[in-house]
Amino acid sequence: MLRPTIKTVLIGLGLAAASAAAAFAQVDFSRYVAIGDSLTAGFTSGGLVETSQANSYPALIHRQATGGDTGFEQPLVTPPGLPAVFQLVSLSPLTIRPTPGQGQPANATLPRPYNNLGIPGATVHDILNTTSGGIYDLILRNPAFHNTTDIQQALSLQPTFVTVWIGNNDALNAATSGIVDDQHLTPAAQFDAEYKALLGAIAQNSSAKIAVALIPDVTTIPFVTTIPPVVVNPATNKPVIVGGNPVFLIGPKGQLGPGDHVLLTAQAELAQGIGIPVQLGGKGTPLTDNVVLDAGETATITARIAAYNSTIRAAAGTVGAAVVDTNALLHQLAISGIDIGGIEFTSAFLTGGVFSYDGVHPTAFGYAYVANAFIAAINAKFAVKIPPVSYSPYIFGLTPLPSPAIAGIASVPAFSSAALDSLGRLFSWPQPAAAPPPPPQKNHGRHRH
Amino acid sequence: MLRALGALVLGALVAQPMLAAGFGLFEQGAKAQGMAGAFTAQADDPSLLFHNAGGLGFVTKTDTAVSLTYFKGTTATFRGAAPFPGSSARGEQNLINQPTPQLYFVSPINQTWKWGIGVDTPFGLTTDWKNPNSFAGRFLSTKAAIRAFDVNPTIGWQATPTLGIGFGAIARFSDLELKRNQAAINPFTLRVADVAHVDLKADLKEGYGWNVGLLEKFSDRFSVGLSYRSKIKVNYTGDARLNQIVTGFPQFDAAVAAQTPFGKNLPVKTSIDFPDMASLGLAFGLTPNLLLETDANWTGWSSFNTINIDFPRGDLPNATIPARWKNVYNYRAGLRWTASPSSQWRIGYVYDQTPQPEEAVNPLLPDADRNGFAIGYGWTGTHKLDLALSYIDFKSRTRLRSFPDDGDFFGTYKTRALILGAMFTW
Repeated sequence: MLRPTIKTVLIGLGLAAASAAAAFAQVDFSRYVAIGDSLTAGFTSGGLVETSQANSYPALIHRQATGGDTGFEQPLVTPPGLPAVFQLVSLSPLTIRPTPGQGQPANATLPRPYNNLGIPGATVHDILNTTSGGIYDLILRNPAFHNTTDIQQALSLQPTFVTVWIGNNDALNAATSGIVDDQHLTPAAQFDAEYKALLGAIAQNSSAKIAVALIPDVTTIPFVTTIPPVVVNPATNKPVIVGGNPVFLIGPKGQLGPGDHVLLTAQAELAQGIGIPVQLGGKGTPLTDNVVLDAGETATITARIAAYNSTIRAAAGTVGAAVVDTNALLHQLAISGIDIGGIEFTSAFLTGGVFSYDGVHPTAFGYAYVANAFIAAINAKFAVKIPPVSYSPYIFGLTPLPSPAIAGIASVPAFSSAALDSLGRLFSWPQPAAAPPPPPQKNHGRHRH
Repeated sequence: MLRALGALVLGALVAQPMLAAGFGLFEQGAKAQGMAGAFTAQADDPSLLFHNAGGLGFVTKTDTAVSLTYFKGTTATFRGAAPFPGSSARGEQNLINQPTPQLYFVSPINQTWKWGIGVDTPFGLTTDWKNPNSFAGRFLSTKAAIRAFDVNPTIGWQATPTLGIGFGAIARFSDLELKRNQAAINPFTLRVADVAHVDLKADLKEGYGWNVGLLEKFSDRFSVGLSYRSKIKVNYTGDARLNQIVTGFPQFDAAVAAQTPFGKNLPVKTSIDFPDMASLGLAFGLTPNLLLETDANWTGWSSFNTINIDFPRGDLPNATIPARWKNVYNYRAGLRWTASPSSQWRIGYVYDQTPQPEEAVNPLLPDADRNGFAIGYGWTGTHKLDLALSYIDFKSRTRLRSFPDDGDFFGTYKTRALILGAMFTW
C-alpha cells in the first residue's frame, strides 16, 4: 500500500504518461522484471525508500511503456528508508547525517516475487546464488519463496521483458573499500562465466526480450573523486600551497600523487589530522588503506570494468539484447557534464545534480536519465517508440520543498559518525526490521501480473 | 556624433522582430513589400538603395521617401516535449508590436552619375518570453534583442542607356541585449534552483561594409537585377550584470553569493558577423500593364556560427552560444498591375528557408522556414504613397533530437506575424 503522498505523485505521473500511450507493439512489458543491484532497486542517499523506489529506473521504464504502474511491484520501504536516507544538514561545516528513524517494508505481503528484483550490494554471483541474509530477506523473502535466488524468482514470473544491470558491485566493492583483490574485484574469468550464465538462463527459460546495461567506470563517481589527494585549507576550501605546489596527503604507501584518490570515507581520518603532514598541523600518520585508492588500483579497476563490459556486450549479442552504454553516460558526466535546457549536470558531489548524498547512487534526475538511456536503447534495438521520461518533475521536484530550517547545525564532521558508519556499510546490509511474511504462495512462479 | 545619432535612431527602434530568414528584415519599402520583396529587377523607387543600388543609375529626379514598417506579431508560442521540458510545458512571447522607420534620398548629379543615401534596418531580432521566472527555457534565454540599422550612402552610374550600376558604403550600428536565469543545484534538495538573473547589455557599436548593384533593362518587357551586400562584423562591448535570486536556503544562498560577483557591472566583449546577401531578380512585362518579377536571394548565414561572450577581466568564464547556421536561399515572386497612371496593385509570395539547424533551435532564437503573402497598392499623384500588408506564417519548428554539443530542450515553436508598410515619396 503506497503512502498517500507517493500515490499522489504516481497518479500525477501516470496521467502524464498516459498521454504518451502505451508503445509496446513489439515489446511486451506486461510482465517486466528488472534484475540488478542497488541502482536497479532505486537506492539513493544511503538508503532504500519508497519516495525514490517509486521512480527507480525500472519503474520509470514500465510507466513509460505501459502508461501506468499496474503490475509492477517493488519491495517498498517507508520513509526514512532502510537504512535511513542521508540528509544534508549544513554546508558550513559540511554535515551529512542519516534522517532519524528507520523505514519499514511496505509491500512485504505481495504473494509473488517482485518485478523489481534489484538487490542492493548484489554481484553477478549473488544474483545466481544468494537466497537470504540482510537486504536479501527484504527482497527475496525466503524461505517463503522456497529459498529461491534472484534469477529464479525473476524467471518464475515468466517475464515478457527483462532488464539486467548487474556487475556494478563486482567493481564497486574495490573502489569503495580501497582494497583491490579478488574478493573485492571479481576476476574477469569468473565474471565472464557467471554473466553469460545469467543471460543464458534468461534466454533459455523465457521468451523475454532483454536489455542490459554496461558497467560504468566506478572510479569516476563522487565517492572516489570528491576529496582531492592534497591538503586543503578548511577555511578557504582550497589546496594549501607550499613552495608554489600543493602538498599531497600521506597515504598507506607514502605521499600520495596526482593519480591517487582519497575516498569520501576518509573524512573522519582527515578531521583528526590523519594523512596530513605535521608541519601543516596534522598528525603525520598515513591514511588507512581502505580510504585510499591509489593510481595503480584505479587503473586495475578501470581495466577490469573494460573486461566486464566486453563480456556484457558479447553476451548481449548472443541473446539479442539491447545494450545501454551507461559507461559512456558516466564518462560524459565526469568529463564534460550534460546540458539539459541550460542546466549543467555533472558528476560533482552535492552540486552536480546526478549523485545523491552517498556519492554513489543517483538522484531522482539521475535515475530518470538512466531510464531514458534504457528507453533509447530499447527503442533502437526493438524498433518501438516508448516515450521518454520527462525530466521536469525530477529536476524541479516531485513534492513541495521541505523547510530550509535544517541548515545551521554546527561543529560536526563533514559526515556525521552515523553517516560515515552507513557509508562504510553501504554494501553490507543491516537486517530489515521485522517484516510480515508474505502469505503462503500459490502457484509459485505462475503469476502474470 | 555619428554614434549619438545612431543611439537616437535605435532608441526609436525599441524592438525589432525577426521576420526574414534568421534575423534578417526584408521589408524596407512598401512598394517592394507589396510584391513580397521581388524588386531586384525593378528597383524603381528610392528603396532601391536597399533592394538594388543598380537602380540608382536610372534616377532622373530628386526623391525623398519616408517609410514606416509596422510589425505586429499574432502568434509566438512554444509547446514542450519530453524529456525536457516535457509535454506540459508552455511558453508564449510578448508579441512584437513595433514600427521601424526607413529613410531614403536619391538625386541625380548629372545624366550619368547619381547619388543617394538610405537609412534602413536590414537586421533585427527580439524574442521576449512572458513569465520569465517560470518559463521552462529561462536558463537558455528569457529575452534576446539585436537591433541594427544601416546608413548607406551610394553612388549610381548609368553606364549605358539600359545598364545601371550602383556602389555604396554601409555603416551598420547595432546593440544587443541578452537575458536569462542562471541555474544551480541546491545541495539541500538536490534539485535545480534559480540563483541569478543574468542581464547582458552591449552598447551601440558600428561595423562597416559595402554593397553593389546592377540593373540591366534589356527591353521594356525584360530586366535583370543583381545585388550584393557584404558581410559586416560588429564588435560589441558592454556589461553583464548578475542579480541574485534568493532561494530561501541561507547557507546555499551565501555559498552562491561567495562565488558569484553579484550586483556589479562586469565588462564583456562579443561580436556578430552579420551575413552577406545576394539577390538575382528577373522582371517580365507580361502585358503593358502587368509585370511579373521572380527573385532568388541568398544569405550567407554560415557567418553566424557562434556568439562568443568574453569577460576580459576574468570575472566569469567566457561563454560560447553555438548557432552553426547555414547559408540559405529565399524565393520571391511578385505581380504588379498598373490599373491607371496613378494606381498600381501588387501581390507577392515568398518562401524563406531558415538557416538554423535543428540542434540550434532553442528559446534564444527559434527560427523556421516561412511562407509570406503580400498585397500592396500604390498611388501616384503630385507625390507617391505606397501601402502594403504582409502575412508571415512560420512553419512549426520542432526539436525532438539530442545532439552531442547542444543541450536538450525539446518542443515546438510557432510564429505568425502581420507587417504593414507605408512609404511616402516626394
